[in-house]
This record gives sequence, structure tokens and C-alpha cells, in this order.
Amino acid sequence: MRRRAFLLAPLLLPALAVARQPAVTYPAASRATRLVFPRDHGAHPEFRTEWWYVTGALDTAQGEAGFQLTFFRSRPGIAEDLASPIAASQILFAHAALTLPGKPLLHAERAGRANLGAGFATTDCDVHIGAWAMRRSGSGVTEQFRLKLHDPAFGFDLTLKPTQPLLLQGENGWSQKGPRPELASHYVSWPQLQVAGSLTLDGRRQPATGRAWFDHEWSSEVLAAGGVGWDWIGINLDDGGALMAFRIRDGAGATLYAHAALRDAAGRLTQFGAGETSFTPLRRWTSPRSGAHYPVQTEIRCGPHTIETLPVQDAQEIAAHRPLPVSYWEGLVKIRGTLSGRGYLELTGYAGALKL
Amino acid sequence: MKRLAWWLIRAQFQTRRTATALSMLAIALGVALGYAIHLINDAALADFSQAMKSVQGEPDAVVAPQDSAGRVPLALINELAQDEGVALVVPVIETRVRIGELAVRLVGLDVFSAGLLMPDLLPRQGAAISGDNIFEDGMYASPALLARLGSKVPEGTHRAGAGVTATRGDATWSTRIAGDLPAARPDDLLLVADIARVQAHFGPPDGVSEGRIRLAPDTKLANWLAAWKDRLPPGLTLRAAADNQARLSNISRAYRVNLNVLAMVALLTGGFLVFATQLTAVAQRSTQFALLGVLGLAPRMRLAQVLLEGLAIGVPGAAIGLALGWAMAVAFTRLMGGDLGGGFFSGSAPVIAPEALPALGFFSLGCAASLAGALYPAWLNRMQPLAQALKTGFAQRPPHQDDSPRQRGGKVLAVALVAGAALALTQAPAVFDLPLAGYAAIALVLVLGIAAAPLVTQRVFAALARRELAAAERVAVQNVGQAPLMAQVAASGLIVSFALTVSMVTMVSSFRVALEQWLDAVLPAPYYMRSKGLPLPAELLAALERPDAPFARVERMAVGTASLDPQRPPVAVLVRELDRADPSARLPFAGEVFTAPAGNIPVWISEPMQQLYRLQTGQTLRLPLLGREVEVFVGGVWRDYSRQFGAVVIAAVDYRALGGRVEATDLALWPRRDAGDDATAQRWVREQAARHGIDGVGSGEIRALSLDIFDKSFAVTYALEAAAMLIGLFGLAVTLAASVWLRARELATLSALGFDRAMLTRAVMLEGALIAAIGLAVGLACGIAVGAILTHVVNPQAFHWRMDLQIPWLQVLPGAALTLAAGIMASRFAARQATRLPAAQVLASAQ
Repeated sequence: MRRRAFLLAPLLLPALAVARQPAVTYPAASRATRLVFPRDHGAHPEFRTEWWYVTGALDTAQGEAGFQLTFFRSRPGIAEDLASPIAASQILFAHAALTLPGKPLLHAERAGRANLGAGFATTDCDVHIGAWAMRRSGSGVTEQFRLKLHDPAFGFDLTLKPTQPLLLQGENGWSQKGPRPELASHYVSWPQLQVAGSLTLDGRRQPATGRAWFDHEWSSEVLAAGGVGWDWIGINLDDGGALMAFRIRDGAGATLYAHAALRDAAGRLTQFGAGETSFTPLRRWTSPRSGAHYPVQTEIRCGPHTIETLPVQDAQEIAAHRPLPVSYWEGLVKIRGTLSGRGYLELTGYAGALKL
Repeated sequence: MKRLAWWLIRAQFQTRRTATALSMLAIALGVALGYAIHLINDAALADFSQAMKSVQGEPDAVVAPQDSAGRVPLALINELAQDEGVALVVPVIETRVRIGELAVRLVGLDVFSAGLLMPDLLPRQGAAISGDNIFEDGMYASPALLARLGSKVPEGTHRAGAGVTATRGDATWSTRIAGDLPAARPDDLLLVADIARVQAHFGPPDGVSEGRIRLAPDTKLANWLAAWKDRLPPGLTLRAAADNQARLSNISRAYRVNLNVLAMVALLTGGFLVFATQLTAVAQRSTQFALLGVLGLAPRMRLAQVLLEGLAIGVPGAAIGLALGWAMAVAFTRLMGGDLGGGFFSGSAPVIAPEALPALGFFSLGCAASLAGALYPAWLNRMQPLAQALKTGFAQRPPHQDDSPRQRGGKVLAVALVAGAALALTQAPAVFDLPLAGYAAIALVLVLGIAAAPLVTQRVFAALARRELAAAERVAVQNVGQAPLMAQVAASGLIVSFALTVSMVTMVSSFRVALEQWLDAVLPAPYYMRSKGLPLPAELLAALERPDAPFARVERMAVGTASLDPQRPPVAVLVRELDRADPSARLPFAGEVFTAPAGNIPVWISEPMQQLYRLQTGQTLRLPLLGREVEVFVGGVWRDYSRQFGAVVIAAVDYRALGGRVEATDLALWPRRDAGDDATAQRWVREQAARHGIDGVGSGEIRALSLDIFDKSFAVTYALEAAAMLIGLFGLAVTLAASVWLRARELATLSALGFDRAMLTRAVMLEGALIAAIGLAVGLACGIAVGAILTHVVNPQAFHWRMDLQIPWLQVLPGAALTLAAGIMASRFAARQATRLPAAQVLASAQ
């Protein structure tokens, strides 16, 4: 899941970061909703926030690389009644990052309003900002995601093929995020995607293969009162299983809500509730840029499992500017403990309190 | 050697102070004028493109509709954005709105993309404004506009948050000023709002007015443009943003070149003055130089010395010119802005930033002019036969030059050849849109005049000399009849200056007569109302419909633009309510008018458009109109002196039939006869104009205003003409005096033979009068020829203005008489010298 978007969602320009009551009523994620695919791979523009998120590990000539590409859709609740096809009622953001061994993290971002250089489909996963795009196509053996991004610093063109079925988080894709039932999202994951394609660095294209994790989540309200940030991880386990875990923290670092889901290699799904899931910082890395102390090495327990995150490198902090200037840590980690694999760890709310 | 050279230069400066100073001044003026024009225009262009960058950013390419009624469809923007060769597409809606009485540019921005390309336009939310952001409501005003709005509202100021109503035609948007544009340029009257808000209120529906494209770093612009050219929907252009620069410099090029030609004329005059001065100096010092020659000064050194003296005039002249030019440019831009009087650039005073290379260029030009002037005298000085010079003084012709009939025949042939060449050049087309061949033809005509003068002189005076004349007259006639060098020099100065004067007067007068006729034709209605570039307020149009409006007839016109060539400024599209069967009632046609074949849409194009795009009456044309290309029939070509870049008229009926909306910007009003006196209509126009902040004037006023502007902008030519005539007269006086000095022995002999002072004076003054008369006669002929070239070649090619030739005899002939009188007065100066000659001494020393 993509908690970062929670703080990004309400928009926009520096002067606009004023909390206010939107004039529209957003639907809440409903437990009764039965998701239908590929329709529900597409956008749900009536919801406040939505994201399509791909993270993964690539095997490249330079060694093991981490990559991520995220598209956010936000319905800020403004310009809804404006009689214009380009009203800023649906806004898209995209972030991309690439972690190469021994190199500074590469990061790029884009933004645009729907129908004016950016867009999304409501029938399938098909979202783009300019030439950056994430699209699903085919079915059965031909089913694949195509990720494209082109930036002066780096780019990639990757094809992701499923090796396993979709993973509906929570109750059939209804994923609770807090103690109150309204604090929930629709949440679909697709772990263990087979990656093939190319990576462009300094204008040179090179082949790349690897494993990826796809998340698609939409909601209108998720963060419990007092929440300042969250820790989240999605792990492609070496044995073919998948583990997702998150917790929402308050200002003191205490857990407000936590949840984990494990699907083993045989496809058996186990959910771990708030009482069974815990995050314990083992080692913190201090960012020289933001001064934030990120618990990059964290112990995660869920049920019988205890694992530890080992970042491939400590400096995987991202300083994003749009829609708001915000720093967070997000990077490739190796997993050791009772389970082993490679995952993406996200740590937000450490560089100052986050505003919604 | 050096000391000798220096000593000679000093002596030369001291003995010929006035002549030297004047030559220097002329060179300085030429350099100053040219340099100032260069500096001002450079600064204005830089300023203008800076302003454009501020508002437009620096895209690699721009996609825009070809005509102002078109739009760039959103689908295309989205398609372009997804092109992998494109880094960014910035969609923009630009329009003009009225706020109170102010016409303001409103830019609809998409802050997501615009922030990267046009950071100067990013709005800043007012500190006091809470809640709403740019997507929700509000406009953001430039500091200059905030100040203007503040001063326009007496009670309370337009602080951020104040209400504001923008109108365009019948569309209105009432909102508030939510903040400012901190990076806007100080003079820009500018509003920025969210692109969707602007679109919702003012359109265009489902499109934007422009897409500015930044390509990915590894995309080649030319390849990318070529790939898109075929995919582009009709009615749109995709052009390299660099074309904007070309278009910008195209706007003022002809005007600049013409000013620069004036500077060249000043430089040439300087060169001529150097020539006249140095020639007399060489003549008067021939004995000195001969002596120096005998003492061992090589002929090469005699040549070098005269050239050096020329440079000694040119170098300080050019240096003064640079300083003067810089000062002129600074003063001019401070006072008037960077507009060169052409009305092309308006806005803030640009900063004059001199650079080394152009300064050096203009400096060299000044030096070159003076060197060129000194060339012939220097050569003559080198060729002087020493012994003869020592004994009898200056030889006006180098030796071995007799005037055999065969040579004379050769000269006639040469003159005829030059005349033929000049004639051929007038038929040549423009080069780079500039009348370069026309200028060359003018130069040839002047050369021709100068070369033909001795031939004419010899013919006329040889015949005259055969008649019985009094002694003094006979002496004068015979002397001039031989066309000595000095007389030729004096005459050529007058020829050139009078020719330039006559040609200018002819051109200006032709233009003025043509302008008056044109104004009569294009202003048929007694009253006009106009709101520049904005649709007229709906309220005003409604008022016209009411029965109490005192008008019998109202004709509306809408003005748009269409771009036929991305490198040229767009042509004006005038949608007019005129009778398709009788367009001549409204348009001053030049040439035939064809009726369009059935089913064809007729348009009538202006002369500049016809020439710029090489169009013919009777042909069809694909005209960008209403966002597509429409095939139209060119029904005729009409005269237009107001839109230099072309205009095309289409009947409102046809425009509506094509699906266009006529948003009137101009009104022509004919008062009702029964609506009382004319004052009623006048009052109505005045009141409505004041109420809506638009122009409302009588045709008489427009006429007077136009002619006034015309007269003012040509006032500078009168000063130039006066300066040219003074220089010509000065040349006459100097060369006559020199020739008297040269002929001291002859005059002394005459005096010894019984010529008294009065007779001598008469002889010299008559000589002056004869030379002046020849100069003026030949000058008049050349002037008319040059005037014809200016009117028929230069003006049409540079400005695409055609007109008939009108020779203002009432100005030219008195001018000639006045110059003749002044020439006679000037020769008095020479005559006085002649009468002061100590005859006995001269005769004695000659032995």
C-alpha cells in the first residue's frame, strides 16, 4: 500500500496547503464491494485518492538495483462544477526512483491534470502523465503491465508478467486502516511479477530483468486521528510467497494501527491483525539532508514470523516537491529472519510531522 | 618622416578649419545615426524577446492555430504530451479581456506544466487570502496592473482579494484578485488564472490557444517537427520556437534598413566633404608637395600623406560619432522607448548595451568613408608632374588624358551603360524582402548624374561660348564650358544633394497625396468606434439596436489574424459587413475586381498581402480560417497603408456561413438624417466611447490624426534635406574658392588687361551661378528619377505600399531657385578672394 499518497493527496502548491473541508462527498471504501477485473484495475475517480504502485528489484550489469514507479490520482474536491473539460478536479502525480549500488538515489516526478497532458482510464489500468505511463493489457498468458518513463537522468521500459494470481488485501480487497470502519481502502496487490525490459542510464540503454510488486489502492479516508506517518513493506519472498505489512504511527512513534498479510508459496493467505503485527526499530540512519532518523533496519513480527530489513544502501531518502515538499525513505531492502526475500520498505512522517 | 606627416596634417587642419570640422561632423553624424539605430533596435529586440520569454518561456516548438478563430484541440495536446520525444507540453489560453476601461491580457495557465517552462508567470497567493487556490477561483495580477487598478478605483484599493469583473464581448467573469505575479516584468499588464477557469468563461471550447513544447534532450527538433508535420490536423501550425525570433526581426527589418540607408547617405556626404576638402588642399599645396618631391619625398609618400590626412578626419569623426550615437540611443530610449518611431515595439525603455564588435564595425565605416573621399585626391597628388607643379601649379587632370572624340564617345557609351544598369535594377525583385536592388539603382542614378554633368556642360557651353558675350560673361562661360575638375566637383556636390532633396520631397509628397486619397476611400462613414483587439461590449451593441440610437446604418467589422507563413507576422483577417456584389463601395481597389464563380467564397486581399505571398486576383487560395483551411477566391487587391504585413477581407455573410461568429471589434456609423443635427450622433458616440473605454471618433479626426502622424514621422526628412542642401552649397563655395586660387595667374592677367573688381566679381559669380544651375538641373533630373525609384521600387518592396508618382513642382522649383540664389551668394565668397589678388605680385612670381 501507498501511504505516502495520504499526505500528498490534498494538494498542491505551497500556498495551498491549507486544510479545509472539501465541498464534495466522497464515497467510503465499502466492505460490500465486490471487485471485478480488469475494470477495477482502472481508476475510481469518485474516490478521493488512488494509486498504482510498482516496486521491485532488478538484476543489472551494475548489480542489484531497486526501482519504483507510482501514479497517484487525487480528487481534491475543487473545480467540480466548472464547465470545462480541463477543470482541475482530477489531478495526477507520478514519482519514480532508481537505486543503483553505490550510487546516489535517482528520483523524478511529474504532475498534471487529467485530460490536459495526463489521463487515466476507468476500465483498466491505463494511467499516464505525458510519456510516463503504466498500462495493463492481455489476459491469461498474454497478461502484462507495461511501465514507461523517460527522464533526462534515467528511464525505463519494463514489461511485468504475473506468475501468480492477484492478491486481494484485507477482506476481498477491503482493507481496514484504522480502528473505525470508515478508515479503509480498496487494496489489490500483485506480488512476484516477472520483469523484463530495459533501463536507460545517461542515455545508454541496457537490458534488465527482475521481480516486482504491484499495488493498486483507492480510498477516501484512511489515516486515523493523531497519525503522523507510517511504515510499510511489501516483500517478494524467495520461496515464491509474499508478505505485506504496515503500521500507522502517532507523534510519539507508537503504533495506532497495524496489519500484515502473508501468502505462502502454495497460495495460502494468512491475515495478521493489529495485535499480531509489530514494528521495532533496530538501527536508524540519519539523513544529512533532512535530519530525519529513519529506522532503516527494522524488526517486523507477524504471527509466528520475525524478520529484519537490511537496506541495500542507507541513503534511499526521497525529497519530493510535488505536490508538496516532503521527504520520506523508500528503498530496496533484503529480508532475513524466518522468511527471506527482497522487499520495498517505506518510512514516512520522520522528516517532521505530516499534514493531511 | 613622421614629423613631416604630422606637421602637414596640423597645418592642413589649421588652414582649413571649417572645412575639416564640417567633414568630421558629417562623418560623425553618419556613424552616430547608424550606430544609434543599431543600438536602439538591438536593445528593443532584446527587450522584446526578453518579454516574450518571460511570458512564453523558452520552448523548443509551438503548436498554434493558423487563424485567431482557431484552437488547438485538447486531443492534440494529449497526443503530443504522450509522445516519447516530448519532455513537456505546456497548454496555454491567451485572450484579452476588459476590466473597466482597461484592456488586459489574460493568460490561462496550467500550473503543473507552466511552472517548468514559464516560471515568471507563476502566481502567488495573497497572504490574506485563505482557502481558495488558483484552481478554485480568482485571478492573479501583475504588479503594474495592480497599480493601475488601484488608481482607477477611487474608494479603496485593489488589494488582493478585491472583486474584479473581466468581460470579453458578451462573456463575463466576476471573481477576485487572489494574489499577484511576483516575477512579472514591471510594465506588463497581465492577469493569470487557471486555464480551466479561463476556458469555462472565455473559451475556446475543448481546446486551448497554444501548446508550448519542450522536447526530450535526445530528440532532434528538425526530425521531430518533420515527423509531426504530416500528423497535424488542418488549420494548425507546428513551428520551431526559433521562428519567433525570425518573425520578430522581420517585423522591423525594412524600417531599420531604411533608417540605415539615411545613415549611409550621411556617411557618403561626409566622404564627399572629405573629397572636396582634400582635393582643394591638394591643389592649393601642389607647389609645396612638388618642392617636397624634388627634395626626395617619394610619390608613394605623397599619396600616403593625403590618405593620412583623410584618416585624420575620419578617425576622430568616427570616434565622436560612436559617442554621439550612444548618447542618442540612450536619450532616445529614455524618452520614447525602443520603438524607432515605427510603432512596432512598445513597452519599457530597453537597456542600451554596447558591444565591442558592432562599435568597431561602425567606427571602421566612418574611417572607410573618409579614406574613400581622400582616395582620388591622393592619387591625383601622386600623379602630379613635379616640374610643372613647381612652375605653374596644380594640374587639374593627370597627364596623358586628352579628350579625343573617341574617348568622349566611350564616355557616352559608359553613361548609357550605367543608365541601362540602373533601369534593369529597378525591375529586379526584392532580396531578403529588402529593396537592395532599388538602393543600388539609386546609387547608379547619382553616379550617372555626376558622370553626365561634364558632358552636358561641354555641349551646352560650347554652343553658348560661340555667341557674342561681354568679356566677363565670356570668361565665365568659357571656363565652365571646359568643365575643369573643380567645377565638376562643385557641381557633383550640388547634384547629389539636390537629387536627394528632390527625391525625398517627391516620395513624401507622392505618399501624402496617396494617403489622403486612401483615407477618403477607407473612411466612408462619418463616425467610427473601435475597441482594440477586443470584441465590443455587448451593452454597446445592444444600445445600437435600440430605436433611439441616432444611426441610419451601422457596419460591423471583426478583426482576427491568420498565419500563412510561420516566419512572417500573421495577416489581419477583416470580417466586414459589405456588399459582396459591390466591394468597391468599401475597399479602395487597385486593379481589376473579379466576381467569384458560383460557389466560391470571395475575399479581397490588401496590396502588402498580395506582394508578400505572391498572390493574384482571380486565383484561389487556401486561407486558414476558423481553425481549418478554407478555399477562397481572390476577388481583388485593395490598397492598404495601415497593415504592413497584409490583410484579407471576407464578407460577414460568408464568414457566418462557414460557421464563424462575428465578434465585432470595429463599428462604422452613419447618422440618421432625421435624428436631429450631427451633434446628436457625435454626442452619442462620445458618451458610449467614454462609458466603455473604447475609441469613438469622427472620420475627420481619424483623417487629421493620420496625416498628422504622417507629417511628424516624415519631419525628420526635411531636416535631412536642409542639411544636404547646406553641404552641397558649402562644397560649391569651397571648390569655387579653390578654383579661384588655382587660377590666380589667369585672373591677375585679366586684371592687368583692364578687368576691374566689378567685372572680376561678376565673372566669378557668374561662374558660380552657371555651375549651380548645371548642378541643379542635373540634380533635378536625377532627383525625379530617384524619387520614382523610391516610390515605385523601394516603398513597394520594403513596405509593400504602392502609390502614384507626384512631383511637387511647387516645392521643387522654388527650392531650386532658392538654392541657385544661395549658390550665387556662396560664390561671392570666392569672388572676394579673386578681387583681393595682388595682381602684379602674382604675375611677377609666375615668371
